[in-house]
Amino acid sequence: MALASSRPSWNPLKFRDPELPTELLILVKVLALVVLLVNHVRILPDPWLPFVPGIDRLPPVLFQRTLQTVFVISALAILFNRRVRLASLVLGATMLLGVVSSKAYYGNNKTFCGLMFFLTGLYAPGRKPWPVQWQLGITYFGAGLNKLLDADWHSGVFFQNWAVHRLHQPWYIALDSVLPPMLLARLMCWGTIVTELAVVPAIFIQSLNYWAVCANILFQSGLLLFTGTTFTLFFYSMTAASLAFVSWPKERITVLYNAGVVDRIAKVLRFCDADGRFHWIPYSEPTGDWLHLTTGDRAYTNFRALRMIVLLNPLTYLAIAALIAVVPEFSAAAYRRTVVALCLFFLMPPLASLADWLLGRRQAAAVQSRSLTA
Amino acid sequence: MLRTLIPISFFVFQLGSIIYARFVPTRYFCWAPYDTQTDYTASATVNGKKLTAAEFRRRYRRPARGFDNRSPQHLFDMLEQAEQKRFDLGDRATIVVKYRVNGKEPREWRWPHPDLHGIR
Repeated sequence: MALASSRPSWNPLKFRDPELPTELLILVKVLALVVLLVNHVRILPDPWLPFVPGIDRLPPVLFQRTLQTVFVISALAILFNRRVRLASLVLGATMLLGVVSSKAYYGNNKTFCGLMFFLTGLYAPGRKPWPVQWQLGITYFGAGLNKLLDADWHSGVFFQNWAVHRLHQPWYIALDSVLPPMLLARLMCWGTIVTELAVVPAIFIQSLNYWAVCANILFQSGLLLFTGTTFTLFFYSMTAASLAFVSWPKERITVLYNAGVVDRIAKVLRFCDADGRFHWIPYSEPTGDWLHLTTGDRAYTNFRALRMIVLLNPLTYLAIAALIAVVPEFSAAAYRRTVVALCLFFLMPPLASLADWLLGRRQAAAVQSRSLTA
Repeated sequence: MLRTLIPISFFVFQLGSIIYARFVPTRYFCWAPYDTQTDYTASATVNGKKLTAAEFRRRYRRPARGFDNRSPQHLFDMLEQAEQKRFDLGDRATIVVKYRVNGKEPREWRWPHPDLHGIR
């Protein structure tokens, strides 16, 4: 059963658009929400030492106000499902114009975020979003190559200085004190170089895309856990780029559930399903499973099915991004680390598989004990 | 057609920037985020008057003392180009930046460059 294709809704929690597939819609809506929540508009520049000559001849206040107005309108248009592809193109162009118009505003994170919007805005319906994928590949290639050719990355000097004198990272300092000098620094530097360069072929070879997505998310999350910072927009944009490698199911997803066991959970999950992506059907007769989900040629049961329901709901990504972006004044780094650690713990594959394995063992033991008693 | 040509031209530009970065100290548009840590202290004197920290920030859009997570040349570019633009307005500035890259030995950068015989 295909998802009902209605007119775009004003509801920001709905993810339907005639021009963009769900995965790209999530990508731009997550980033639009983030740029609004972190109030990025306040740092959009007036022309100052531009990369493109002549921009600084424009009236600075008019330039900046225009940039800010277009930025906010486009971000809101994306959130409220109004001409999302065009709004992404305009928002991306606005950010890229900001980047080339001011050396004070220039930054890799803003450039990458602008490119994510802009390249998504160029998406051709029915085709793979290859420009977004290639952009991620080129970014990792540039980052890895620069480190590979830098003597301070070979020796570990960069990391030692960064972790000890800049970040005052307690875990690193404690571990470094019991290891031979510079060993940990070298390991971290070379680990970063190898990861960044190894991701590149995984991005360009389709059969390795799964590993590229895993490596990208784990690497960027690792950076956030280590530093406690999102590097302005970098964490959000890099992780969101992973969405360009997945295809959301076009059909409604049927979920079979045992109403006696997961009725309350089912009610909550149905309430959170603003798009009506899931079709919930109670089991007609009891089976060993309390939850069963089939998507494409893959079937999931119990905790793995529960994990997939959460992962296939676009609201999950909006909620995670909002949780990280809306940082409380006190202990921002600890808060971000906690949110990201919890998301990784609950949403990465091992926990659900482990829970199913343990549940399976308990059920098997219960069946064995009942048969012995009989 | 444009949906293919525009991304391709972006990627060619970025690959060109990655190659170009091998021959220059700057790292613009070549994806080198957080690859270098520079801590610096800068002071500037304009037309004989030493700038306060607030005046320095207003003039160069950078704090007089702080960190930069990219090539230090990006900082020097901003200071130098800001002064080149103001030279025509009659400002005569001297800037001294004391800095360390990745915590190594202290270095110093000056504007005008000691070996430069052009703008003074």
